[in-house]
Amino acid sequence: MMTNKERYKRAFSTLHASPDTKTEVMNMLNEQETHKKRRTISRAMAAALTATLVIGSSLAAYAANVGGIQQIIQIWVHGDPTDAIIEFDGQGNYNLEYEDKDGNIHTEGGGGVAFGPFGKERPLTPEELMEELNHPDVKNENGVWTVSYYGETHDITDKFDTDGVCYLKLIHDGETLYMTITKEHGTASSSKYYVDAKELLD
Amino acid sequence: MREEITLLIERYQDNLFAAAFSICKNAADANDIVQETFLQYYTIDKEFETEQHIKAWLIRVAINKAKNINLSFWKRKRVSMEDYINTLAFETPEDGPLFEEVMGLPEKYRIIIHLFYYEDYSIREIANILKISEANVKVRLTRGRTLLKKTLKEEWNDDDQ
Repeated sequence: MMTNKERYKRAFSTLHASPDTKTEVMNMLNEQETHKKRRTISRAMAAALTATLVIGSSLAAYAANVGGIQQIIQIWVHGDPTDAIIEFDGQGNYNLEYEDKDGNIHTEGGGGVAFGPFGKERPLTPEELMEELNHPDVKNENGVWTVSYYGETHDITDKFDTDGVCYLKLIHDGETLYMTITKEHGTASSSKYYVDAKELLD
Repeated sequence: MREEITLLIERYQDNLFAAAFSICKNAADANDIVQETFLQYYTIDKEFETEQHIKAWLIRVAINKAKNINLSFWKRKRVSMEDYINTLAFETPEDGPLFEEVMGLPEKYRIIIHLFYYEDYSIREIANILKISEANVKVRLTRGRTLLKKTLKEEWNDDDQ
C-alpha cells in the first residue's frame, strides 16, 4: 500500500519545468555579463578612505614591476581627489598606496574572485577590481549608517524600515544601481532591480 | 560553497517549477519564476554551507517570487486549472484527483503540504524556509491534511504523523 508521500510524489512528478530552462537562463546570463556575481572583496580599508576610486585616464601610467603592474589612479580621501599607486598581482589581488594631505602614507589591499556562468571560480581582473572598488561602500559606525559612492557620502540611518532593511537607488553618470542594505544580513545590488531582502537571509 | 549553475538547473528546475506552480497555479509564470530564481542565484552575493542549503534557498526564492506574482495587479491570462490538468500525463487515474484537490487548497496550506509531501522537508525545515513558526507550520499542515482527507477519503491514508 502506498503512503501519502509516495502518492503525492507520483501525482506531482508530472510537473516539469520548460525543457528550454537551461538555454534561457544561460542566454540571460550571457546578456547580463555585468551581473557577474562576485564575492565581496575583503578590504583592509583605511577608515579615512571613502569607497570611491576614479580612474584618471590621463594620469594612468603603466610600469613593469616584478610580479605585477602598477598604475597611478585617483581616489577620493575625505572628499579630496588624491593620487594613489595601485598594483595588481595578476591573481585577483591589489595593493594601494597613497599619501594624505598631511603627508602620511596609507596602504591597503584586497582581492576577489568571480564565478563564470558555469560556476567556475577565477581571480578578478584588474578592470573588475577597479569596478569593485567603485562599488558603494556601506558602513555602520556607532549606529550611524552611511553609504559612499563616487566621492559622496550620505547618512542613511533614517532610511531603514522596521525590519532593518533599506532600499536605495543610486545614480551616477546615467547608470542606476539598486541597492538592498540590511542591518543584519549584508547588502546586495543590481543594475536591474531591487534584490528582495528576504533573499539575503540564511 | 557555490555550485555550478548548470548543474543546479539540471537537478532542481523541476522542484522549483513544482513549488512555484503550487502557489501561482500558472505554468508560464512558474517557468519565468524558475529562470529568475536561477538568475538570482547567480547574481546574489552569498556563500552556502551545503548543497541542501542551496536547494532550500532556491525553493524559498521561487516561493517568494510566486507569492509576489499572486499579489501583483498584473497577471497572465490564466488557463483554468481543469484545462491544465487535462494536459498533464498522470501515471494513474487516481493522481489527477489528488493533484486537483491539492491545488484547490488555500495557498497557505498548499505550499506547506507540497514542501512536506514532495520535498520531504521536516516541520522545522519548512518553518525555516517560509520564515514562520514551527507551530504555524504544524497547524497548517494538519488543516491541509484534514481538508484532503475530507475530499479524497480512502485515497488519502491516515499514515501521517
